Amino acid sequence: MDSLAQLLHLTPATLWMIVKVLLVFGGPFTIASLLTWVERRGSAMIQDRIGPNRAALFGKWRLLGLPQIVADGIKAFLKEDLVPPHAVGILFWLAPLFAFVPAVLGFAVIPFGQSFTIGNTQYHMSLLDPGNGMGMLYPMAIGAVAIYGVLTAAWSSNNKWSILGGMRVSAQMISYELAMSLAVVAIFMRTGNAGPPTFLEAYDPHRIVAAQAGLWNVIPQFLGFVVFSTCMFAETNRLPFDFAEGESEIVAGYLTEFGSMKFALMYLSEYVHIVTAAALIVTLYLGGWQIPFVADPGALLSVAAFLAKLLIVCWVFIWVRWTLPRFRYDQLMALGWKVMLPLALGNLMLHAWWMHRAAM
Amino acid sequence: MATVIKEVELSWLDRTYLWPILKGMVITFKHFIRQLFTPTSKRYTVQYPDAKKEMPAGYRGLHELKRFEDGSIKCVACFMCAEACPARCITIEAEEFSDLNQTQGFEEKRPKVFKIDMLRCIYCGYCEEACPKDAIWLRTDYELSAYDRLEMQFGKWDLMNTYAKKDGKPEISTDPKPAVPHKPVEM
Repeated sequence: MDSLAQLLHLTPATLWMIVKVLLVFGGPFTIASLLTWVERRGSAMIQDRIGPNRAALFGKWRLLGLPQIVADGIKAFLKEDLVPPHAVGILFWLAPLFAFVPAVLGFAVIPFGQSFTIGNTQYHMSLLDPGNGMGMLYPMAIGAVAIYGVLTAAWSSNNKWSILGGMRVSAQMISYELAMSLAVVAIFMRTGNAGPPTFLEAYDPHRIVAAQAGLWNVIPQFLGFVVFSTCMFAETNRLPFDFAEGESEIVAGYLTEFGSMKFALMYLSEYVHIVTAAALIVTLYLGGWQIPFVADPGALLSVAAFLAKLLIVCWVFIWVRWTLPRFRYDQLMALGWKVMLPLALGNLMLHAWWMHRAAM
Repeated sequence: MATVIKEVELSWLDRTYLWPILKGMVITFKHFIRQLFTPTSKRYTVQYPDAKKEMPAGYRGLHELKRFEDGSIKCVACFMCAEACPARCITIEAEEFSDLNQTQGFEEKRPKVFKIDMLRCIYCGYCEEACPKDAIWLRTDYELSAYDRLEMQFGKWDLMNTYAKKDGKPEISTDPKPAVPHKPVEM
């Protein structure tokens, strides 16, 4: 790495930062666009259909329908960019960005591999180095900001369906955020209590991953895992909680007035959200880059392990969508406030009591 | 009408909601795996332009005006089909003839114009049922589309000759006046 950095007239730290930025921004995008393919083909398989398989590169290579992604992209670029006359101009233009940027930002603190050392320098596999003081609180906060994307889109469309969808989804996301944060607090407590003493805060993802070396959090915190994943489904607006849209009630919800590249951005950001949510689940509950029974997997193997787990969780997101029907809105709210919140609180109290017992 | 409402008592496991979800996911995953390992040709979907669906024998598609072995038309222009047609899409003009070389026997009337407006036709098959001479049949061909309305006006020679067999050969080789399939006819 040092020689390559010298060749490019950069310090190794800067070079590594550039590589990380490329990885962290390019990775989720690539996975997200692949997910659109997985979603369409996978749903087809689940429903005994075939799915998109006609698009072909140079009219020759069909490649299991993968060129469909390219075809969709080209189509979105070339379509007329229609702005309805009643839309609130500047917000309408900004809304896709508001939806898109938070989806990527959340990935910044996720450690996607084991830190490695070359010479005397230690390189960390996350965009922000450990000990940045934000830790896991940062993706939670960014997740809350994601509501603005939906709400801006809904408001700027100046359309009753859009605003209904936007209002519904913002209420939903705020409701489930409570339970989600409480589930995560239990993990912070556990991590702070266990593991070797370090200078890192208990909510630092690197420390959370390190603390899962022996046992992944999903086993001692199964209740928290269930609550957190359910809330992640709600946060990403996936079925069974896809209240942002609703074909039979409010047309396409907050997406109703968006077309061409704006729609494509919104659509892609939904999938980047899924990738980020999957990364959070993997980091918090499924041991991050850890491999069972391998104490020190090394940089490349750990990245591969993280990627494999990430893709499996992404697939679960898609799998659940094509299994479950959607909730009614009041059922959703009842589940959020009457089930998820007490469960998360109970989980928190249980672990607090447990730790208290152990300390005595 | 009275409706019997059956109360279903859910077990506590079912009421957790989580267990039924897992059961449902197992079902969908089974479908996924089964579909994944089924070759494309054996799946339910017919990949239309590449593979075409074989229609059952009773299917009502494009009409055909039948002929005798020597190629002369069976139709005697009795107007029964035009009368039976609920969509009023059949236009017939009759003509007399006295060509005794043909196996048509004692008939001396035949259609000069036999036109079916395929845009109006509802493929009900009443013409087939009404015909006393079994001269009009509905075939299993279903690819009836054209680039303009005129092409969908099928004339007598279209209805007599349109049809090629599956291997591309025309059904009747002794063709007195061949017409190209889907050729616009003069109105």
